[in-house]
Amino acid sequence: MIKNYLKTAWRFLLQNKLTSLISLTGLAIGVGCFLLLSTYIMNELRYDRFNDKADRIVRLVQHIKSTNNNEEIINAITPSAPVPVFKQALPEIADGARIFNYSGYKPATVQYSDKLFNERNILMADESFFKIFSFDFLEGNSLTAFNQINSVVISASTAKKYFGNDDPIGKILKVNNVNSMLITGVIKDVPAYSQIKFDLIGNYAMLSRSKTRKWDSANDYSYFLLKPGTKVKSAEQKINAYTDNLFKNDGDKDHRLQFTLEPLTRVHLYSKANDNLVPAGNIRDIYILSSVALILLLLACVNFLNLFSAKSIERAHEVGVRKVMGALRGQLFIQFLTEAAIITLCAIMTGTMLAWLIFPWFSNLIGHQLGFQTWDINVLVLLLIGIFVSVTLLAGTYPSLYLSAFKAIIILRGKSGGNAGNSTLRKSLVVFQFAVSVFFIIGTIVAAGQMDYIQHLDTGVNRSNVIVLDIGGASYNKIQALRTALIQQPDIKNVSASYDSPVNIAGGYTIDKAEGATGNLNMMVTGIPVERNFINTLGIKLIAGNDFTLGDEQRVLDTNYQKRVYSFILNESAVKSLGWKPNDAIGKQISMNGRQGEIRGVASDFNFASLHQKITPIAIFPEYDYFGKLLVKVSGKDMLNTTNGIERDWKSFFPDSPFDMHFLDQEYDELYQNDQRASDILIVFAFITIFLSCLGLFGLVIFSTRQRTREIGIRKVLGASITSILGIISWDFLRLVGLAIIISSPIAYYAMSKWLQGFVYRINMQWWVFVLAGSVAMLIAFITISFQSVKAAIANPVKSLRNE
Amino acid sequence: MLSLQHISKFYQAGGTRNFVINDISLEVEAGEFISIMGPSGSGKSTLLNIIGMLDEPSSGYHYFAGETVHQLKDKQRSALYKKFIGFVFQAYHLIDELTVYENIETPLIYQDFKSAERKAMVADMLDRFQIVGKKDLFPAQLSGGQQQLVGIARALIAGPKLLLADEPTGNLNSKQGEEIMQLFKKLNKEDGVTIIQVTHSEKNAEYGSRIINLLDGRIESSKQL
Ligand SMILES: Nc1ncnc2c1ncn2[C@@H]1O[C@H](COP(=O)(O)OP(=O)(O)OP(=O)(O)O)[C@@H](O)[C@H]1O
Ligand SMILES: [Mg+2]
Repeated sequence: MIKNYLKTAWRFLLQNKLTSLISLTGLAIGVGCFLLLSTYIMNELRYDRFNDKADRIVRLVQHIKSTNNNEEIINAITPSAPVPVFKQALPEIADGARIFNYSGYKPATVQYSDKLFNERNILMADESFFKIFSFDFLEGNSLTAFNQINSVVISASTAKKYFGNDDPIGKILKVNNVNSMLITGVIKDVPAYSQIKFDLIGNYAMLSRSKTRKWDSANDYSYFLLKPGTKVKSAEQKINAYTDNLFKNDGDKDHRLQFTLEPLTRVHLYSKANDNLVPAGNIRDIYILSSVALILLLLACVNFLNLFSAKSIERAHEVGVRKVMGALRGQLFIQFLTEAAIITLCAIMTGTMLAWLIFPWFSNLIGHQLGFQTWDINVLVLLLIGIFVSVTLLAGTYPSLYLSAFKAIIILRGKSGGNAGNSTLRKSLVVFQFAVSVFFIIGTIVAAGQMDYIQHLDTGVNRSNVIVLDIGGASYNKIQALRTALIQQPDIKNVSASYDSPVNIAGGYTIDKAEGATGNLNMMVTGIPVERNFINTLGIKLIAGNDFTLGDEQRVLDTNYQKRVYSFILNESAVKSLGWKPNDAIGKQISMNGRQGEIRGVASDFNFASLHQKITPIAIFPEYDYFGKLLVKVSGKDMLNTTNGIERDWKSFFPDSPFDMHFLDQEYDELYQNDQRASDILIVFAFITIFLSCLGLFGLVIFSTRQRTREIGIRKVLGASITSILGIISWDFLRLVGLAIIISSPIAYYAMSKWLQGFVYRINMQWWVFVLAGSVAMLIAFITISFQSVKAAIANPVKSLRNE
Repeated sequence: MLSLQHISKFYQAGGTRNFVINDISLEVEAGEFISIMGPSGSGKSTLLNIIGMLDEPSSGYHYFAGETVHQLKDKQRSALYKKFIGFVFQAYHLIDELTVYENIETPLIYQDFKSAERKAMVADMLDRFQIVGKKDLFPAQLSGGQQQLVGIARALIAGPKLLLADEPTGNLNSKQGEEIMQLFKKLNKEDGVTIIQVTHSEKNAEYGSRIINLLDGRIESSKQL
């Protein structure tokens, strides 16, 4: 019997190539997208679970309350003391390891014989690291890897990069020209789903601070292994009891050190801490993407269901005849379900292929390396079977039930057979599809608008034609010499340097004294040490006072902090918080984290962090102890020549560091990487949903026109013009699209408002966005409809009537 | 073999009932060959469908092969029907997607015959109707007469006791029609199949052993030949 079902089903599909193809394409796309998204979701969900002891590993995070507004900041970066101290003092803690992101501030240069690389993924970890975490050793082993003070363990691909096929064990790498590291192990590349990612990991003992136990400066990530059976909460209480006791004589209780523990497996998706080792995921995104995956699959099922049940007009006859031949309803039901199953099976195979082809591109889009190899094969097979069964049932049940219920008697009354089934259902499904499409179209337009706004907003910093070089920690003299050399070049307008990126300034300082200030006197400000030409190089506007002078520079060069005299430029917000008008502030004395000096100028507010955040007080001050970025303002003419010139000078001053330049604009854009990604993903989904909806619509129009051939023929004989017939057919469907727009617009408005609320600086959604999205949907629907309706309208009426 | 007693069938039209079959009683003995005649709309097809259990009467008693049809559940009725009745239509009603062979095979599938049995039975039937050469063709590739032959072969494949034919020659020319009637006569005489046919043609009606004339849903006359 089954064989017979399969045979007829197969034949039916071949004989209805167009509709089968439409169903299949739609489903395949749905399945493909579903696979891609579920791979991503699965990858996020299994983060860090590969560690054998994952359920006992916790991460320590530090809670900091700011003094002026009591806002709590959670930071993943912790002092060096907790790991050794808690490990010793608390029986609940079996082991612990500190991890320092060695290449976090700037890439490290690593040298082996004549090979020189910039490495961005170097960590330093305590000896226990490999005993707590489970990384697979290809050479060496986890117990002895950090036996030497200068041990380093490298990943397989790093080994390949440096040594090709030679044995890396025992080789020495020179890191940043200061550390000589001995390779004691090679591990398999760290999986994409690890929160601790590295290419090289050295022994923490190499760091000078490894011998000290400091509580007041935070640089490290702290991980603990709890004793079996220990509850995270109880360990956390012990830790805080311990620190409370330790610091009981230090001032205000509220502002003492406060720690919490996060289970390792929850860090990636649930942690609210800043400065994670790798950018954290977000459980909310997982929910959103899961819904999107399901919606896409559902859209595809809807297509299938629609086409399949529309097809029933043509199959009524068959059903009737089979019933007269003695078929029971159940048998017919299974026959039709078999057809659905065959299409689903083909679609799953095609969809899997599709996913396989798209994986590299998709990996790029979402910034993770994913593929089918990401899956455990058994789970993948189960998932595919799950999709197969649910899609077959979802798409096949209704039409099969409906079809198999036809009465034999119907066909005995003549040729015309059954009707097209529950057209309300099919119409609602089309509305649903287009509602989803319109949602994504609106989302795309709004997101693109916001991204455009971000790119073109005047943030108060002139980013164009600013080249950035990472110079992490080069000395004052060297930087001055390089600056002097560079400024000679005709196309270089100005050169300056700063502590961190001027589009993402992070340093936290406190102004604790201000001459005669009435305002807040324990004021948190952001601060950035700069070279004195900073303001000029970046075109920051001063609204009062003057720029820094050579004198200001010389007064902060003394190595003895006590003898330095600082000068500051504050922004408008800072001055306002201190209770001054811009002009009043000039010349006033302030003290900021021990830096005494006077206010030289007031800058108009500019965005020094992402537009997700409000502009807050900032202090800019010359200080030459550490610069991370060299900023070169160029004319923009003859770029190639200019950059060649910069490279030449760089090489002569830093022969040991690779020349690695980028533009300030790039650093700015990087701040919005996630937003850009969201916007890109929206566009992709918009296209896919539109395509799926059009497929569905196209299929329905085919049936509708076929069903109405006779009506159209008669109308034409009676003198109807082609346009009027087009109008009749199109109106039926465009009405549905209109309804979809009405349903979808408020939902999209709500969702996109939520998204925009994440930006302090944002666009307003204008009414035209909805009109535009609606028109786009209408136009696309109309074109889709036209393919078929034009054909029907220009067909010779005599032919269609004779066929009756 | 079958008995209808006071069978009526009506359709509700607004407030009034339109009787299509109006209190018909009819006895049919095994081995009879009955021709039903009457003007268009007189209820011939409806009566035939009721006999064939494809349609249900609004009232009356229906007995078939010793079973009380009007009391049977759908499934039992379907089983009874599968076992005893074959149907032939004016419009052939072959399944376009199936070959001649498969069309004839279809009823067997629903009666759970094993594959090997089916093969033998279909081969036998193809042989008997001399359409072996056409077995892999699709209905659209056949002439009307050939299609009707396939339709009859399909109706007979499971060895029914009662053959119901609604204007089996209605779409055929007179020569093709005559062949079909000869075939019916032979089936009736040699194989003992009871036949009830609806026809508009006096000549074809006379192949039967009894002619029943319907008018407005009633039996107007009945004539034994
Ligand atoms: N579903 C229905 N609703 C209302 N009236 C119906 C329905 N089906 C059939 N009829 C009516 O029943 C009557 C008998 O129909 P039937 O098909 O039995 O006639 P017939 O004698 O076979 O005619 P013909 O020779 O044209 O085939 C007709 O008048 C028809 O209009
Ligand atoms: Mg009739």
